[in-house]
Amino acid sequence: MNAIEAQELTRDFGATRALDGLSFAVPRGQLFGLVGADGAGKTTAIRALAGLIALDGGRALVAGRDVASGGSLVRESLGLVPQQSSLYPDLSVAENLRFFARLFCLPKQDFRERSARLLGITRLEPFAGRRADALSGGMYKKLALACALLHRPEVLLLDEPTVGVDPVSRRELWALLHEFVAEGMTVLLSTPYMDEAERCHRVALVHEGRLLLEGEPGALLDDFARSPACRQTAPSFETLFLARLEQADRERERGDA
Amino acid sequence: MTSRQGRFLRRVAAMAAKEVLHIRRDPRTLYIALALPVIMLLLLGFGLSFDIERIPLVVADGDRSAASRELARAVFGSRDFAAVAGSDARAAQTELRRGQAMAALVIPAGFARELDAGRDSPVQLLVDGSDGNTARQIMGKIDAILRAHGGSRAGFADSPPLAVKVSTLWNPASRSALFMVPGVAAYLLAIAAVLLTALTIAAEWERGSMEQLFASPVGRLEIVLGKLLPYLALGMLQLLLVISLGTTVFDVPIHGSLPMIFVAGLLFLTGMLGQGLLVSVLARNQLVATQAGALSSLVPSLLLSGMLVPIENMPWILQALTVVVPARYLVHALRTLMLKGGGFQVIALDLLALLAFAVVILALATLRFKRRLA
Ligand SMILES: Nc1ncnc2c1ncn2[C@@H]1O[C@H](COP(=O)(O)OP(=O)(O)OP(=O)(O)O)[C@@H](O)[C@H]1O
Ligand SMILES: [Mg+2]
Repeated sequence: MNAIEAQELTRDFGATRALDGLSFAVPRGQLFGLVGADGAGKTTAIRALAGLIALDGGRALVAGRDVASGGSLVRESLGLVPQQSSLYPDLSVAENLRFFARLFCLPKQDFRERSARLLGITRLEPFAGRRADALSGGMYKKLALACALLHRPEVLLLDEPTVGVDPVSRRELWALLHEFVAEGMTVLLSTPYMDEAERCHRVALVHEGRLLLEGEPGALLDDFARSPACRQTAPSFETLFLARLEQADRERERGDA
Repeated sequence: MTSRQGRFLRRVAAMAAKEVLHIRRDPRTLYIALALPVIMLLLLGFGLSFDIERIPLVVADGDRSAASRELARAVFGSRDFAAVAGSDARAAQTELRRGQAMAALVIPAGFARELDAGRDSPVQLLVDGSDGNTARQIMGKIDAILRAHGGSRAGFADSPPLAVKVSTLWNPASRSALFMVPGVAAYLLAIAAVLLTALTIAAEWERGSMEQLFASPVGRLEIVLGKLLPYLALGMLQLLLVISLGTTVFDVPIHGSLPMIFVAGLLFLTGMLGQGLLVSVLARNQLVATQAGALSSLVPSLLLSGMLVPIENMPWILQALTVVVPARYLVHALRTLMLKGGGFQVIALDLLALLAFAVVILALATLRFKRRLA
């Protein structure tokens, strides 16, 4: 069964078509990567999956329920780390955690155990009393992640979780994500870094609100290596995606002409 | 508690507790809520209530009897008026026109005779109406003096506003502080309440935390109530402060029911907080919310509440507008309770109006509060 389903998601902002019939599905227990350039529509897609924006067309399903009508049942099965800062800067690490635990009506005992564990694995424990606006960029991201994980969501949506995070923390973060997935969580994350694609079970390349490419990283690379468009012996995701984006731009120019 | 209501209450409590943390971290909120009203009440109270003393007044005594001289002595016996030399009504008018006197009391010939005969013996009061506030004070003071002097009736040259009659009835010395403090209290509560809440929801949008809230199971009503409760408590504290200050510094009496004053205050505050919520739900940004909030609370509660200008004196269109200004009902309720006395019965209509406003505005705020980022 699919934990996440995007069906023909469409959304315009004025003259900009942010989502243009975007469809993909993420089976339960997988780590799915949305890759795309700035303005490709990644944030809009994630917000659509979290039920945070109105759609002009299409449907978003999480854990089998339509997010537009699923209400709090859907939201209880969802964890979200938005791209922009979204925590309370004047509250401490511990206070932010406690607030989100209370919003999800977590029993006190569960909160104590889980926050201790999350503070441990994110190595935020020494900073529990520090205000969120006094954290470094990387620590802030990890706190946002911890806040989104407290209620043990079935589905975790992460919008560019590794941007602004140092390489060491970044590696730790990926290790954490793989741990969660191993425990059965479904994770969808967006990233502007092409090289992060190969760490996902499946990746989708998004461009101007449309899906250009989707599949298992290994299979995608093999296909590309065999195709005439590839002029390298050991292509990377970067060359693959850039080649596909160039092709999309050429196709559009031809269409316009 | 795992029931639906239990979760509802827990989430409201979570929102409220978080709001209390914000208030504690940002003392500006406390300053707006507690220090600002005190400072403004002192400024406004003293500034607006400074009763004018030694008003130049000319008495044109056309009767020259013992009774008329006694009346003049009574007028000048208070520190309110200073005598300007004058003889007859015509000379008095000249003094008025020149600005030498601000008022003239004309006692007609036959004043004593009428009085002895037990009939009404009207005296005429001419007031320089170019400064409405002063004119109102003069009329009130003369009216008070004449009443005290022996129930003589003052006939006014220019028809006085009805409110003067009302005010002098329940405010025997015609002290403007008594009249102003309830009005100022309403005005301050309105501004602080609207401003405080207008800032808080707009702040959630600006911080980006609204995205997290919307992605969580917390409902709109839970957000609204959780935001409301701490500020309601703060507002009640503010009301207590303003009333204590009014009764101690300005000697405003409380003839009526004190609990009813707080009931009226509570309903009014709820409506004002709801107005602040509505503003911030629509504005989504703290700067706009502050300005819209200040404007939408300041202007109506200052100009349309009956605090400065009696509602009866307004053009009909403004009178009609005051019907939807909650400050009007609070000012009326506070004045009634503090100056006249009484309890629930005398302000029942005001309470009903305040309740209706609060319910409608909170419903609007919750409905307009869309659970969508874009
Ligand atoms: N609220 C909004 N109002 C107007 N336009 C918007 C809004 N949100 C997104 N857009 C537009 O929709 C398009 C897709 O934006 P989106 O934020 O989804 O891109 P993204 O892939 O997340 O980019 P980035 O990597 O820079 O975060 C952009 O052209 C953006 O300008
Ligand atoms: Mg984005």
